[in-house]
Amino acid sequence: MSRHVQNTDPSVLERRLRPIYDWLDSGNNKKALQECEKVLKKTPNLHCAKALKALTLHRMGREQETNVILDNLASEVPTEEATLQAMALCYREMQQVEKISKLYETAVKLNPTNEELHTHLFMTYVRIGNFKAQQQSAMALYKQKPKNPYYCWIVMSIILQARRGEGANDEKKRKVLLNLAERMMEKLVNDNKMEAEQEVQLYIMVLEMQLEYEKILDLVDGPLGEKLQCSDLSILKLLYLKKLQRWQQVNSLCKIILSDNFDKWNVWKTYIASVFDLYETGVNGNGPSDVENDVDSFDNTPEKCHEFICGIIEDGAENSFLLRAPYLARFELCSKLQEKNIKTEDILGDKIELFIEYFRKFGHKSCCVFDLKIYLKVLDAEQKSELATKLIKEVGIGSTSVPQSADQMQSHIGALQLARLSGGHRNLSTEHLRALVTALTLHYQHGYQSYGKDLPSTDLGPSDNYAIMAAHILFDLSKKEDGSDSLISALALLESFLTNSPSNFHAKLLALKYYHILGAVMEANSLYYLLDIKHLQLDSLGYVHCGRLATTGLYSLCAIHFDTTLKFFSSNYKDSTDHLTFSYKFGSFMKLDEFMDFREKLNNSLHYTTTVVDRIVLSLVDCSTLDGIYNVDISFKENKIEWDKLRDNRDLSVYVNWEPEFAENVLEESDEIKTLFAQDLNFLKLRTHILWSLSAGLEVLRSVDGTRQQNIASMRQILKDWEDLENNVKKCDLTPISEDSVSYPLPSRLHAFLDTPFRPIVTLFLSFFEFLTLDNSDEIEKASKATQEELSRLTETLEKKLNTKSSDFREKRKGVERIVNTVEALCIACVMCLMCNELVKPPPQGKKAKKKNPIESKLKCHLDLIINEIKTQINKTSGLVNGLCGETDNRDLVTILDSLNLNTDCATIRKNILLSYRKTRNEIQDVLKSKLKCLDSL
Amino acid sequence: MTTLRPFTCDDMYKFNNVNLDPLTETYGLSFYMQYLAHWPEYFQVAESPSGEIMGYIMGKAEGVGENWHGHVTALTVSPDYRRLGLAATLMNFLEEVSEKKRAYFVDLFVRVSNNVAIKMYTNLGYIVYRTILEYYSGDPDEDAYDMRKALSRDVNQKSVIPLAHPVRIEEVD
Repeated sequence: MSRHVQNTDPSVLERRLRPIYDWLDSGNNKKALQECEKVLKKTPNLHCAKALKALTLHRMGREQETNVILDNLASEVPTEEATLQAMALCYREMQQVEKISKLYETAVKLNPTNEELHTHLFMTYVRIGNFKAQQQSAMALYKQKPKNPYYCWIVMSIILQARRGEGANDEKKRKVLLNLAERMMEKLVNDNKMEAEQEVQLYIMVLEMQLEYEKILDLVDGPLGEKLQCSDLSILKLLYLKKLQRWQQVNSLCKIILSDNFDKWNVWKTYIASVFDLYETGVNGNGPSDVENDVDSFDNTPEKCHEFICGIIEDGAENSFLLRAPYLARFELCSKLQEKNIKTEDILGDKIELFIEYFRKFGHKSCCVFDLKIYLKVLDAEQKSELATKLIKEVGIGSTSVPQSADQMQSHIGALQLARLSGGHRNLSTEHLRALVTALTLHYQHGYQSYGKDLPSTDLGPSDNYAIMAAHILFDLSKKEDGSDSLISALALLESFLTNSPSNFHAKLLALKYYHILGAVMEANSLYYLLDIKHLQLDSLGYVHCGRLATTGLYSLCAIHFDTTLKFFSSNYKDSTDHLTFSYKFGSFMKLDEFMDFREKLNNSLHYTTTVVDRIVLSLVDCSTLDGIYNVDISFKENKIEWDKLRDNRDLSVYVNWEPEFAENVLEESDEIKTLFAQDLNFLKLRTHILWSLSAGLEVLRSVDGTRQQNIASMRQILKDWEDLENNVKKCDLTPISEDSVSYPLPSRLHAFLDTPFRPIVTLFLSFFEFLTLDNSDEIEKASKATQEELSRLTETLEKKLNTKSSDFREKRKGVERIVNTVEALCIACVMCLMCNELVKPPPQGKKAKKKNPIESKLKCHLDLIINEIKTQINKTSGLVNGLCGETDNRDLVTILDSLNLNTDCATIRKNILLSYRKTRNEIQDVLKSKLKCLDSL
Repeated sequence: MTTLRPFTCDDMYKFNNVNLDPLTETYGLSFYMQYLAHWPEYFQVAESPSGEIMGYIMGKAEGVGENWHGHVTALTVSPDYRRLGLAATLMNFLEEVSEKKRAYFVDLFVRVSNNVAIKMYTNLGYIVYRTILEYYSGDPDEDAYDMRKALSRDVNQKSVIPLAHPVRIEEVD
């Protein structure tokens, strides 16, 4: 009968089912379920309606019912497309992707000629990355329908086996597989069947892996090359000529390309590199060459190279073009000459003059500084400072004059930026730097009044960069005697300029950073929202805000930002296999490797894993019942995190800087940042062990006598691992990264973490817990004492490290981070109290057992002693919080500040910072209070 | 200084300097991925000598018959690299690819208030083909111009005869 139902007119079924899909799409699961029931009443055996009901129930969180329906459906072996798709979607959302393959495998067996089912089966293997199964199913598909795309799917599946499957660690296997792939593509060519551009691309890809560059060049020149519609053939050829190190041909081809289009910067770089290769190998055109005749077609000396560049510049001048590439090519030549220890002056003349000439031509464009900064390396320190002086002179703006045009202003800004990049601000006195800030601020205001007022609000202001630089110099000053005052001045400047240039994201990023340094997290949060950071930026820019929040004690903000971030990651991980299937569908095979790498990069983001852990810890902080703890998914990835794979996905370059150290080097690759990543990673490893230990403890608690011993052993093992890890970490470089440069993020959370005795507390407490389960009363008493002692040192340690007297907000922020760690330790102690309490509380035996068991009450009394110690520590911490963040409440504070009549911008900033600290204090106090309450209930 | 190269997934980790600009939208990942998988040749990035992303263009080819055309989905240039003709280079590239694909025309949508962009497209030879009512959602919704430029295959320039009346989103295919 059921077969019969499935065979009802599809359009009728479609009409009946439509509303279910619509409700599901709009997220109204309740209505969707009602609709399902309605349809199932009419046609109780309609597979698709059942599948949709399962999906709906799953989305409503009714897992058990979902599973029953799915299992029943699967046993009926559905083959109808819509049903399979609904079931597949459901399995995918339940993260049981293997079942989807099974589903389609069975369906294909029943309908071996159905192309669509075969395709779906292939795609299910793509989603789980089973390359071998992919190959087999593509072959079965090709046998049914011999179409080129399916043939390419086979080849691609073989390539993936070679590169990411069994061939990845087995050179022999790899070779065999790639040979097979190459032969298969050759067959397609020989049979004259190659048609689409994608097929040719796949062939090139295989040849490239086989290092058959020669063949690729022949292919590009041959009839197959004509199929490469969307590629620039000469650039493609250049790529493989380079790999073959045929420098003469590279050189000639570059010249041809450049004569035609001289703004292609990469070709310029290749051209100049080839000149030096020819020069060094002594190819002079007379000896044996790989290019027939035409000695002039390639340049093999720096002189000829320079001649060629000058020729192009002259051509350009005649045509009144002003393109930067040939001018910049001279710098590339210069830096290459210098690399080879060849005197540059003979060919290029005075180096400083070279810069000045470029600056004269392009100085009024903001890109000029970006162009030149990578070549400042050709100058020594003295020349750099000479250049800086000359440039300022060139612009013609002295200490008493202002720019007369927007272009002159941009040149002035450029000259100042290059001066800073040359290290010109490094040795200035505090007074000098302050004077510079004043001058820049005035220039900013003048520039805004003269050239910035009538621009649309979406534009960056033309004089904004004066203010950004002033804010950078104020940061430098904060490292000297000016302290946090100069950061407050910087914030006042940035805030006021943001009212003029509401879309200047540089200012927002900078202010966000300064607020974090000062611990004014509420203010930072407002700026963060102005940046409208979303999607992938939650990963690349997560460090600017979200990554700091766990140190701030603003638990309400933590929850919001952690959840947004985690939602992004988990939903994208689910979706990310879609792109892989698209790649096959559209034949963009060259993107597949990239997509897979990207998927891994995203999923192995250090920021992601850190946020997961932060979120769990936050839940524990909020937690005050044992049930609550069970509800937190604490057993995060169970020891299975692949630490080595975790990646630093931060985009640090989003912060513009003119620090000499990063003129040509990428910040992300600096030693400082590598150290920071290593420290962050260690921090995460250690912190994760808190969770794993607690999780192991919960397992012990949950287990009955039979398995308890085993669970105790694994709990001990985790604690041991933690200890080993901590010892190893302490052997690494534990110096916090420098805070001297505005470009660096704040130092790692590792340092304050290591100052808090998380491990001793958890270890001792869990051993007390362990003895409770074993009823070993001597050991219980000892362990209780040890735990109390360790806890009693908690605030002592904190107090010593805390500088409550300092009025420097930067110190305050560090203090808050320490307090937050202590609060976390206390909350974790409370969690362990709840666990222990479960062991000592009298079993619920009804009215019969009213009398207290004396042994149990004895045990309880050891726990009570610990609880009392925690309470003492909570109260002390509470006092320290007030000491650090101030005791007065918000209204008083505002009144006090207002009564002082501080109507300056700085006073407003200061007031907001204090208000933010007040919020911090309140949130921490609330947590502490709730912990006291929780302990009282035990 | 414009070597264009195909946009890669990794570029999404580096395009913040361009995308934080208020007129550039940051889309969900799957949007970019869909374009990368389907029209990789239409998604190009311009990189500066110092390695920054100067700008990028994202497009596609679609339509049947004489409606087969190239479409500009997103075009953006970093504030640091404006007024260098970069947008023109990127547009040029997309037009060339569309020519090779034998498309009849190239089109794009732009906010009616975005005068700078409209002027630029006009300079590049685009005309306002029609107005699409309330195309951009927001407060309030904003109309879009559908701007077009005919390619060589459209010999009689049929694709660029402006419509007399504005259309609603539902009427746009």
